[in-house]
Amino acid sequence: MIISAQLIFITFFGLAAVWFGIVVFRTYSMVRSAIALLFSQTALGALFLTLQAEFLGVLQIMMMATEMSVMAIFMVMFMMDPGGLGKMDMTHQKRLSIIAGIVTFIAAVAVAVYIDWGPITTVNDAPTIQIKALGIELLGRSMLVFETAGITILTAMIAAIAVAIQPKGNINNNHKEPK
Amino acid sequence: MGIELIMSLIFAAALLGVGIYGALSQTNLVMIMMGIELILAAALLNMVAFWKYLHPDNPAGQMYVLIVMTVMALEMAVGFALAIARFRSRGSVEMEEAVELKE
Amino acid sequence: MNYLALSIIAPLVTAGFILLVGKRVSASVIPILAIMAVFLSLFSSIILLLNSASGLIQEIILTGLPNYPLKLIASPLTSILLTMVTLISALVMVYANGYMQQEKHKTRFFAIMLLFITAMQTLVVAGDWILLLSAWELIGLSSYLLIGFWFQKKHVKAAATRAFLVTRTADLGLYLAIFMLIASSGSSDIQVSLNDNSTTSTLAGILLLIAAMGKSAQTPMHDWLQRAMAGPTPVSALLHSATLVAAGAILLIRVAPLLSTDALFVIGLVGGITTVVTGMIALGENDLKRLLAASTSSQYGLMFLAIGAGYPIAALLHLLAHAAIKSSLFMAAGVFQHSRKDTKFSALIGVGRDKPLVFIGFVVSALALSGIPPLSGFFSKDAIITATLTSNHMWIFLPLALLGTLLTGAYMAKAVKLLWSGSAHSIAVHGSKSMSIGFITLVIFAAILGFTFKWVENVLAQPLELDFYAMSLGLISALSGILLGWYISDKKILGVMIKPARTGFAIAGGIDKWIVRPTLVIANICDTLEKYLYRLALNIGKMTVKIAHDKVYGILENYLYQLALGVGKIAVKIAQLSKSTDNQWIDKFIYFMVRMFIKFSHYARAIQSGLIHRELALSAIITGGIVVTLFIMIAFY
Repeated sequence: MIISAQLIFITFFGLAAVWFGIVVFRTYSMVRSAIALLFSQTALGALFLTLQAEFLGVLQIMMMATEMSVMAIFMVMFMMDPGGLGKMDMTHQKRLSIIAGIVTFIAAVAVAVYIDWGPITTVNDAPTIQIKALGIELLGRSMLVFETAGITILTAMIAAIAVAIQPKGNINNNHKEPK
Repeated sequence: MGIELIMSLIFAAALLGVGIYGALSQTNLVMIMMGIELILAAALLNMVAFWKYLHPDNPAGQMYVLIVMTVMALEMAVGFALAIARFRSRGSVEMEEAVELKE
Repeated sequence: MNYLALSIIAPLVTAGFILLVGKRVSASVIPILAIMAVFLSLFSSIILLLNSASGLIQEIILTGLPNYPLKLIASPLTSILLTMVTLISALVMVYANGYMQQEKHKTRFFAIMLLFITAMQTLVVAGDWILLLSAWELIGLSSYLLIGFWFQKKHVKAAATRAFLVTRTADLGLYLAIFMLIASSGSSDIQVSLNDNSTTSTLAGILLLIAAMGKSAQTPMHDWLQRAMAGPTPVSALLHSATLVAAGAILLIRVAPLLSTDALFVIGLVGGITTVVTGMIALGENDLKRLLAASTSSQYGLMFLAIGAGYPIAALLHLLAHAAIKSSLFMAAGVFQHSRKDTKFSALIGVGRDKPLVFIGFVVSALALSGIPPLSGFFSKDAIITATLTSNHMWIFLPLALLGTLLTGAYMAKAVKLLWSGSAHSIAVHGSKSMSIGFITLVIFAAILGFTFKWVENVLAQPLELDFYAMSLGLISALSGILLGWYISDKKILGVMIKPARTGFAIAGGIDKWIVRPTLVIANICDTLEKYLYRLALNIGKMTVKIAHDKVYGILENYLYQLALGVGKIAVKIAQLSKSTDNQWIDKFIYFMVRMFIKFSHYARAIQSGLIHRELALSAIITGGIVVTLFIMIAFY
């Protein structure tokens, strides 16, 4: 096994992503879990970059950063103890979830290791060429997909606004105090 | 040279496991959504690794990743809208308290 | 004019006539008809007697069995007997008219009496054995019917049955003897048999003796006669003194030439023993009629003794005298019975004082029986004693005869004394006029018959000189007997023999145990068997009728109906079975499945908890399962 630079980077960023992922659920502070998730996703984006999917990597990093900061605000809004100073255990069905996680991990690893993925393509084009090919693909053959995606985003935005908007006349009366 | 692929896949599997653990064990809706985020991220990583090492000349791989990313974002958006609505009506987004459907 | 036929037919026709018109005429006419018939017979028989005395013998021959024609013959002997029978019958009929005046069933009584008279006449004039045998049986039957006339009373049926059984058993002897005689002589004519030689004679004689013993009530068959007193007194007066019991003596008198000396000895011995035994019985009796019955046996014993001594003429003379005497004694007893309603001496004490006329007649007859001259009994008794004196077995027969005479006097004196002593009280007796006429007439005959004996002897050509020695012996014993009976009580005379005398000298149970009872048991068994067979036949008949009742169609229809019914029943059973299966198995199964579904649905519902995290877990697990399944499918196919 040739230890290439790619492998090292993959290992490094992968471990980072996993580590931060675990931190998300182990910490008591809500803000910190949001930030941890941010770092996990960022590590994932870096991983994409090492895999020479530049467009995707960048996209991932940009998206996730924004998303996570929004999430942090939401967490502060909705969580009981955003600071995590109370150190409450906010989990349930721990055993089941741990078992499910481990089982899934093992299954996926087994799949990954024991299946013959076929010949690995070693020589491929430069990323620029790949990105160009992606652009042409996106606006060419997969135009419908692109358009549909756009429509879907619009729909989702409208749906989100519709759900989140307050009905008129209920602002003052229906406000419940958070527990 | 399959080791990179396999390593990528292993990390994706790890992320998947962590994500499932989080989705099932957390009481807060936002935290559950974070877990789902991680699951989707694991899927993304899988797809990229496959594209990179098996079909790099086919841009459809990347297309697919784009689509999943879009879905991920949308799902977050709608989820948080729900959380707002829930918070507005009940005053909390704890899933332990969401027992209205239980008999 | 065939007087023989007239004599016999007249009573028979009258009997039939009475039975036909008995219900439609008044009750008093019937006895008159009977009396008329019998007097007609009497008239005919007198003519026959006179004819035969002068040598004119009348015969009637009827066709009987092949080679054995039936014969009726009116010889001097038979016509004398015929006259005796019809005379006594006529007078008894007159008496019966008065005695049975209160009787309800006169038709039956007089009809059977007339039947008897017919049969008796046939017996005495029978010329061949078969006719004699038939007449013998007929008089036995009539005796049974007459003794059992009042069968509603207690003991009467038993007495009649006993009499019939005893005489019938004795008749076996007659049957066997007749078979022997006919077989040896080849003809059933009596005269022919009598002329035969005597190789079979002893046995035949013994057998005939047995028959005669039965009919004449000799020891050991003397009991039935005393019991026969259960019948009406006219029956006793006619049958059991003069005619039926005479049949035995008549038989022996008629076959006298046939008998061997040994048979004669046995006959005489039987007669002598009977005389003494039954005389003692008579002496110990408490009942007047039973005393007279025992006396009858005793007198017939004397007659047998005479026959055994070899002088049947003496027996015949005594038979004639005794007939009149005993009949009159019975008639008197009947009058006494009507006046005191009983015949026991305890009830009859002093009845003589109530009815002096009847009592005088009784005394006359009693003296005649005892053998006091100049009454008839004296002559006949003397004849017997003379016979025994001159017989071969004098030393045995003579004492027996003298003892018999003594006993006769004794019991007669006892009876007279008992009837006389005591006070007088009685009730009026119905029909005493007829009774008296018959009675007095007979007493007169009893008294004067002795004077006709010489004529009888001449007719029959059998003279018998009366010995002076015999006369005196007889007179002494008679007088001593009378004095003994009058002054000394019967118990003292009999002494230790009183008890056997009272019970009739039954030895080892007597005839009763050995003959009568077994016969009755066998008769009972036969009756039961017959009833059973009858029931069996009846049931078979009923079943046959039932089968025949269902015609073929009926049977077929029945079968079809049964078949359809069976099929229907099976169908019902199947339906019930399916219903029960349905209930038990199918429904149960269905309910079970429903319950299982409900339970599982509860479990399934429990999965859907409505809790978000549970739902998430569920979806994760299910997704994992689906992936695995897909993976396995793709990997292995």
